[in-house]
Amino acid sequence: MVNPYRLLIIDDNKEILTAITDFLSKKKYDVVSASDGLDGLKLLETEQQGFDLVVTDLVMPNISGVGLISIIKKKFPDLPVIAITGWGEHPEALATEAKANRVLEKPFDLSELDTVIRELLSP
Amino acid sequence: MVPPLIGISKSIKRISELIEHVADTGLNVLISGESGVGKEVVAQNLYHKSIRKNKPFIKVNCAALPDGLLESELFGFERGAFTGAERKKRGKFELAHQGVLFLDEIGDMSLSLQSKLLHVLQSGEFAPLGSEKDVKADAWVIAATNQKLEKKVAKGLFREDLYYRLNIIKIYIPPLHKRPEDIPLLIDHFITKYTPRFDKRKLLKPSRDDMEKLISYSWPGNVRELQNVLKSCMVMGNWKEVIDDLSMKNRSSLFSMSDEPSMDGASIVDDLLDFKDDYSSDNASFSLKKIKRKALDRIEKEVISFVLEKTGWNRSKACAILKISYKTLLYKISDLDIKPPAKPG
Repeated sequence: MVNPYRLLIIDDNKEILTAITDFLSKKKYDVVSASDGLDGLKLLETEQQGFDLVVTDLVMPNISGVGLISIIKKKFPDLPVIAITGWGEHPEALATEAKANRVLEKPFDLSELDTVIRELLSP
Repeated sequence: MVPPLIGISKSIKRISELIEHVADTGLNVLISGESGVGKEVVAQNLYHKSIRKNKPFIKVNCAALPDGLLESELFGFERGAFTGAERKKRGKFELAHQGVLFLDEIGDMSLSLQSKLLHVLQSGEFAPLGSEKDVKADAWVIAATNQKLEKKVAKGLFREDLYYRLNIIKIYIPPLHKRPEDIPLLIDHFITKYTPRFDKRKLLKPSRDDMEKLISYSWPGNVRELQNVLKSCMVMGNWKEVIDDLSMKNRSSLFSMSDEPSMDGASIVDDLLDFKDDYSSDNASFSLKKIKRKALDRIEKEVISFVLEKTGWNRSKACAILKISYKTLLYKISDLDIKPPAKPG
């Protein structure tokens, strides 16, 4: 069965980005990835088809995850966002303030991410 | 007029792109980079590209004022708030209403003022000294620093929560020597800019040879230093003297690659001979061969540490740069006792 949802994954850590992208591709999502906030924002602004959900890291160069979530919630208020945060970093409160739909703390199980994605995408 | 952001380097292009995308968001920005790289130019560009461009742009240098004064400068005070407060004074937060508040040298702000700033950023309100009423703050805060704030956070000198709140958008401007391709453009720009000011005295563009020297110079004072050098050339009417001066400086900076003061002049000898405190030390252990070994070890250690640091301790990259085998590198690391930097946290 083809999964019709299109996801945007943003993380400046290559290994994590690849792991999440591979995992979600196997789950048959249509996955697009970006390695920092600015590239992520550019995709959101230019991709014709748009996205159904965004997964973003919080601490990144140029536009941080917190910044990106604020921009998304202003420009695309209905687009759900999952924030993932590294161990020992403390911007979770900011992510919640910026209205991230969920905050997942690393390390998390990829299956946990899948569950959260399903929950947020279920009508 | 908006000072243009000059450059064709990848980093400058990326910064321009970033400015276009975030200027209208009003999200807090932290601009970092060495002194003289153009942090205020970036702030001005953000301001001019934003919807706030016709409102005030207020700059505060957080390093220039003592703590108490900076506080009243930022938040203002009521009449009678303290002895000598004969009339009410509006703070910069209020003056920057609907505009931009540019907080330069934010790394120098005291911890107590940091918590007050954090409170304003969290609540969107502040109270002038001696006032019981909170005032709504609507200033776009753009902060700048030439310090490594992460390090200050790790040492407990900068509040982590404030760091994250300012760092929503981060713009890092690399030093000029890391983007030499920008130097010819900057030179062109400043020549055009200054020519009318210097009695229209024409300064010819530097020759290829001179340009090469200008590009290879290390520019420790970054764009500001380049600007000053160009002004000197304008006054002199030629490049020669100023460039000769720079070449001299470059040469001497090659000899002082490390920050250790012991690397210069006579002290290095004292140091290598262990003669620092005790001049009567054992002459039997003294030999030129030994000292040569010791000096070589020290330089090797210095160079290898430097390369490892630059490659983020990527040993394969480091041995490629140093043109030694991987095995040799590992041996040197243990033999010279080179330690990786301590991981934060």
